[in-house]
Amino acid sequence: MSLAAALPAIEHRPRHTGARLFAHAMLARMYVRIVGSLREPTWMIADAIFPNLGMCAFVLLYRALGAPRSYEALALIGGVLTTYWINVLWGMGAQLYFEKMQGQLALYFAAPCSRLAILSGMALGGLVATLLRSLVGVAIGLWVFHVQVAPFSPWVLAGVFVLTMVALYALGMTLSSLFLLYGREAWHTANALQEPVYFLSGLYFPVRTLGALGATAAGVLPLTLGTDALRQVLLGPAAQGLLPLGQECLALAGFGVLFLFLAGRAMAYLEALAKREGRLTQRWQ
Amino acid sequence: MAVTLSGFRGSLRRARTAAWLGWQVEGNWADPVLFAIYVLARPLATALILAAMYSAVRAHAGGAGPGAGAAAAFTGFFVANAFHSYVNQVLVGMGWAVFDEREQYETLKYVYASPVGMFTYLAGRSLVKYALATVSVLATLLVGWFLLGVRWDWAQVQWLPLLAATAAGLASTLFLGFLLAGWSLVLARAAMVALEGVSLASYLLCGVIFPIDFLPVPVRWLAMGLPFTWWYEALRRFLTGHGTVGMMQRFADREVLLWLGVTTVVFAVLARWGYFAFERQARRLGRLDQTTLF
Repeated sequence: MSLAAALPAIEHRPRHTGARLFAHAMLARMYVRIVGSLREPTWMIADAIFPNLGMCAFVLLYRALGAPRSYEALALIGGVLTTYWINVLWGMGAQLYFEKMQGQLALYFAAPCSRLAILSGMALGGLVATLLRSLVGVAIGLWVFHVQVAPFSPWVLAGVFVLTMVALYALGMTLSSLFLLYGREAWHTANALQEPVYFLSGLYFPVRTLGALGATAAGVLPLTLGTDALRQVLLGPAAQGLLPLGQECLALAGFGVLFLFLAGRAMAYLEALAKREGRLTQRWQ
Repeated sequence: MAVTLSGFRGSLRRARTAAWLGWQVEGNWADPVLFAIYVLARPLATALILAAMYSAVRAHAGGAGPGAGAAAAFTGFFVANAFHSYVNQVLVGMGWAVFDEREQYETLKYVYASPVGMFTYLAGRSLVKYALATVSVLATLLVGWFLLGVRWDWAQVQWLPLLAATAAGLASTLFLGFLLAGWSLVLARAAMVALEGVSLASYLLCGVIFPIDFLPVPVRWLAMGLPFTWWYEALRRFLTGHGTVGMMQRFADREVLLWLGVTTVVFAVLARWGYFAFERQARRLGRLDQTTLF
């Protein structure tokens, strides 16, 4: 069918509004994220392999120090979760900076849908793509390091994982709003946040090792609680959990709600500010 | 001779200008305090992760610690991890300079069109990376010494071999940096991934925080072919007084230095040849001004 013939049908198609528009915009952005991540093979390799190289080094350090095998499992679970943190930081937090550099950010703001729908689509698409890649870390743990886990309920594991991811990606949505104003600082901030958050989240050691600092980090970072909760499900007492599992799940749910609320407020405020200061279309800054 | 000397002086002047430009690119986005936090955040966080891991193992062993051997080994790993900042900053940073100039700022073609010369320009940019890496190495060692109790006996430090090993290690970092920068010229979008991959793979391959005995046999041989593996072993022996246990124990101190020297020379020759080969290839493929909207 030619474009001229198709135009009347397109023009008379019912316009989505409200929740339907939100859902369609979210699914559209999610589709782009998934297809985009599958289209570039080098990104796939980078996301699937690289976070696991660091994890392998830390597991081997435990071996060199003569640590019990459960410590290797602790590091492995943390290593798998680094994949998600990297995605949240670079694929969510710094994404709007990349969009600005490519000249696409203005299109998002010109679109008739909610900005949160776009951010939610980015989060869901990033989560699906990262889920597949994190399986590489699981495979390395099982077949290269022969890590063993305690008997666990897959439903509890799935529940804790979903709560962790909702909280984590909601934090990513908030970060992306905050980074909206920035130029190069967004890149540098994301870079600087990577390893310190690995440390504060106890990704490679029991969170309890950090003492009061670990407890403080757990009160701020959903990754700390999520890591600890997932370890408790998979390793039982060997996880050396920070808080009882139920309390951690409750806190993770609270984090999810809080960061989703903050993301909406921050986006509205910072979008207005960025427009006023003329930063939405600024490149190379 | 006069021509050579004047040419050398000209190269130095151009490298200094490139270093100044590099400093502006690296540091002019933030005030000095914020920039210092940014530079130190990554290496200090990694050092703290290692310390927390060791502390967890010690706590599990009942406070007495996992043994004097493990304590000495950890000190060696900590020191090597601190010096690995040079690899992260210089080796990978030189490739990033190419990537940034081409993709981010779209200025690589202007550098080529200027009389400075890409090789000299990259050498100048590496000076800033060396300075930043030196700051992060010193900060990591100071934090280790004063806050984490990672200490060694200064009486056992072998200064001359330590200086020789450090010079060779820094030189090999620079030469491999040139090789990676050349590779980045040829790679378009994939340069970013390749650089990050080299940074992480070197952390695993060179036995920075564990003995290379834990690697599979073919990978172990690859590790022994890299100058950084010998450099880190030399640092452990000549600074902390303890080398790693396992297969490295078979090598005497002078053999470690010898292998470090040999691998450094081999990589220097290979890197210089490789850089110019990559550069010719990049020109042929038209990659010098190719942007991909990564």
